[in-house]
Amino acid sequence: MPSNARTSELRVFLRRLPLALVGAVILWALTRPVYAPALCATAQFLARVFEVPPASAIVLQGGDAVLGRTDMRAGSGWLKFPLTQIHFNLVPFLALVLALPHPLSSGGWRRLLLAGAILASSHVLALLWQLKYLEAFSMGPWSGANYSDVARNVYGTLRYFFDIPVTFALPLLLWVGSYPKQVFALVGLGDPVRR
Amino acid sequence: MPACPRHLKGPPFDRRSRAQHNQPVTPVRTFLSTSAGRFVATYALVLSVSFLVLALRPVNDRVVNPYTTLVSHEARLVLNLLGEGAVVSGQVLSSPRFSVAIFNGCNGLEAILIFVSGVVAFPASWRRKLVGIVVGFLAIQAFNVVRVVSLFYVGALRPQWFSVSHVFIWQSLVIVFGVVLWLVWARRYAVERAHE
Repeated sequence: MPSNARTSELRVFLRRLPLALVGAVILWALTRPVYAPALCATAQFLARVFEVPPASAIVLQGGDAVLGRTDMRAGSGWLKFPLTQIHFNLVPFLALVLALPHPLSSGGWRRLLLAGAILASSHVLALLWQLKYLEAFSMGPWSGANYSDVARNVYGTLRYFFDIPVTFALPLLLWVGSYPKQVFALVGLGDPVRR
Repeated sequence: MPACPRHLKGPPFDRRSRAQHNQPVTPVRTFLSTSAGRFVATYALVLSVSFLVLALRPVNDRVVNPYTTLVSHEARLVLNLLGEGAVVSGQVLSSPRFSVAIFNGCNGLEAILIFVSGVVAFPASWRRKLVGIVVGFLAIQAFNVVRVVSLFYVGALRPQWFSVSHVFIWQSLVIVFGVVLWLVWARRYAVERAHE
């Protein structure tokens, strides 16, 4: 494949990217009313799986998740956390996918759904670690009595990794991992995608 | 077609399976045997290690915090050029109109690490990687100063938009900017020059 053709692949991608970003924002805005409650419900379900009695709570309040425990008196130790901070990375991921040439052809749908499922799982885990971090560190004597130093370190590390590195890097990893041929064609390695 | 340099040799999407050699095949193994798979694995490893190092308290105290203060001073310089009369106290940037605290995650280091990990994991020579890292670092620094300054003005002029601008718009743009920078470096410099 001539070098000029490969360069034009990248040019086309860069030209499509702003429009793809707008499309991704629209998709994100449309799915958010359904996605946010599902995210909170799944994270709460996971948090309660090994709890006796199940008391961890994640309540959706506008665009925020309110994290706490139902077995504590009302108003104590509840944390309001903006859900956008967790799931905003759907936008750059979708934009990168939509800007690719023919992203949904030849199994592209399947790969998009799989990548979307992985990204959604990372959101559930990110919210879960926020809750566990809150319980392990911010509930005074109750935290000390129920979480060991090892548990605190584990939840602190998980929260940190899911808060910054995973949130920022996963869209790129999933994009390259799901569409390797197209992405490597953009940089001039491998076979370019047929038009 | 010019000859392929040594570090780029081998088909990037060689999916010849181990079944040819009567060995069991897994989709993950097959994927990891490709250039894309190796890139993703190396990228994830470099990124995890670098973020782990950043999380260490001595590194945070001696590198991350001074770096964040530097970013605050760069933003102050730009704001003062625009006549804001801003001052920096620790990592808080303030003027009579508005104040912002620059925390870990807002200092641009995460975008730099994501870009640098992509450059390190890409199959190119170390000289080209070094050029990519230096140029990318400076570009992301400049981009982040624009981000901080714009957020300062959003906070001063439209405080109700600050949260959505900070979390949603700028963080998405930071990721996309890092990816675009990596693509351009890889296409225009790492691969194109390698084929010359």
